Amino acid sequence: MSAVVRIYIKEMLSVLRERRVLFTTLLLPILLMPILMYGPLLFFGNAARQTQAQVQKVGVQDLPPVALEALRTARLEPVPTATPEADVREQRFQAAVRFRGGTFTIYGRLSGATQSSLVVGKIETALRDYKDSLVAQALQARGLSPEVLEPVRIVTQDASRVQERAAGIFAFLIPYFLVIFILNGGQAVAIDATAGEKEKGTLEALLAAPVPLMQVVLGKALATLTVALAAALAGVGGIVLGGTLVRGLFSGLLQGTNPDLGGGLSLEPWAYAALLATSVLFAALMVSIQLSLGIYARSFKEAQSYMAPLLLVFIVPLLLLQFSDFLIQQPWFYLIPAFNVMLLLDGLVKGSAEPWQLLLTWGSTLAYAGLALGLAVRSFQREDVVFRN
Amino acid sequence: MVKAEGLSKTYTHTWAVDHLSFTVGKGEVYGLLGPNGAGKTTTLRMLATLLRPSAGTAAVAGYDIRQQPLEVRRNLGIVNGGMQVYERLTGREVLQFFAGFYGIEGRRFRERLEWVSALLGMDRVLDKLVREMSTGMRQKIVIARAILHQPPVLLLDEATAGLDVFARRALLDFVLQYRGLGHALIYSTHVMSEAEEVCDRVGFMHGGKLVYEGSKAEALALGQGSLERAFIRRLEGGA
Repeated sequence: MSAVVRIYIKEMLSVLRERRVLFTTLLLPILLMPILMYGPLLFFGNAARQTQAQVQKVGVQDLPPVALEALRTARLEPVPTATPEADVREQRFQAAVRFRGGTFTIYGRLSGATQSSLVVGKIETALRDYKDSLVAQALQARGLSPEVLEPVRIVTQDASRVQERAAGIFAFLIPYFLVIFILNGGQAVAIDATAGEKEKGTLEALLAAPVPLMQVVLGKALATLTVALAAALAGVGGIVLGGTLVRGLFSGLLQGTNPDLGGGLSLEPWAYAALLATSVLFAALMVSIQLSLGIYARSFKEAQSYMAPLLLVFIVPLLLLQFSDFLIQQPWFYLIPAFNVMLLLDGLVKGSAEPWQLLLTWGSTLAYAGLALGLAVRSFQREDVVFRN
Repeated sequence: MVKAEGLSKTYTHTWAVDHLSFTVGKGEVYGLLGPNGAGKTTTLRMLATLLRPSAGTAAVAGYDIRQQPLEVRRNLGIVNGGMQVYERLTGREVLQFFAGFYGIEGRRFRERLEWVSALLGMDRVLDKLVREMSTGMRQKIVIARAILHQPPVLLLDEATAGLDVFARRALLDFVLQYRGLGHALIYSTHVMSEAEEVCDRVGFMHGGKLVYEGSKAEALALGQGSLERAFIRRLEGGA
């Protein structure tokens, strides 16, 4: 058995026997991701459905009787008030309406996903129906058909790729969490294998064994890579599993929410393979950086403080992925470390990745990973780093 | 077995080890004695090829520490203080892990395990996780890890640090046992009374320099029966 495999097995045994690491890196993503991603939607969808079904009291001021009837038809209970705006602000009503000078003013608390906004929506629909009926009556009184207001029909159809539709509104979140989980999953093992060994005093015995340093670093890097990828698969698995479950079991609860829920992956087999290859290359790069940072740190805590900013560094480009459609993509984007991976993952999930993007990203990431691994080996060779206590 | 010649290590204008020369023969325990910061650990780390000397060199079992680091490591064992072992592995797994680096696998490993278990009396704890072991048992795993490949040279660096009285006694007895097998040992400590028990020759280190070297009997004579007194007298420039 080679020294690399021996070190790999030792590191993996250490990970598998640490329940805390197993739970936080592998189990928690599977359990947490569906709740995190779909919980709020389910909750909001359920709340929206209930708001539609139930009758809410709304403050009204100077409304014509026909408008009041329209509100009642929309399952709202009008309650006269002299101070509609203050009543809503003080949460005596979820919403209120005032009619003055031919204008209906609707009051609601509209910051964020409030129940008030749902009630406002009900009022708007009711009043729009009321307005449409008034327009129709006026047109009919002049002998005109209401259809004169709609001489042409406008139909919007989603022409996006099947893959993009399947991923839906979470299209950018899948690459986002893939990157986050690779970083998070690798971190625990990388620190344990470097600063952790240093702090516990076991590193010296390992380095005194007749093993070339390259093999020591490779063994540790492979173990870290395995856990990082397993964590990423668990995280993305959680999203896909959650998406499937939610669409299958709770579709009723989602009425009133965005119909393009997505959260699924519908890719060609080659695209899954490309997704995996890209993740492996990115993980190799990150793992090498994490090992370099870990060996430089004097303790577990110090290593954590070095690696925390690493996560923050990737948050900004990841958030920019939301707007990737507005980005005029240039070939050199696919040479920028890490950002190229994020762009490619986004393209793969949406089914828009081109072969040249794959080649540029893979080639450059492989080169960066090689350089980072070289840096890690160099760090292990440096006395002032290894014995930095 | 060990021959150091002008061995030196500098850190930004400071000589951590200053032109150290000494030899250790087969079946001999050499005591490297001195207070904390004297340069003992740096010396042992250079011998173990963990640190590169700034000047001078040394040979371990005939292999040059600069030119043949892997060969040196194959002929060396290290016991550090603090009982540092992989806590999430069992004793057997720790030993198997390290033995593999020396090509000791399969039947050969089982034979060596029997030998080391008998030598240290540790067969009953081998399948326990290290984190569940007592201090004494951990120490035995550390020693077993260092000698499983039967190195002709064994380095012990503050090896009794953190040990209770029983474990300390067991370690000192082991040192004498291992010497009895014809191996060379370097016993580095700041606890002079331990050296009085196990060392054949001693070297006093202070400020990176070897300020005295002699047989234990000579050193004891210098200190009127006490190595500690001999060390102080030597530093004060006495006899």
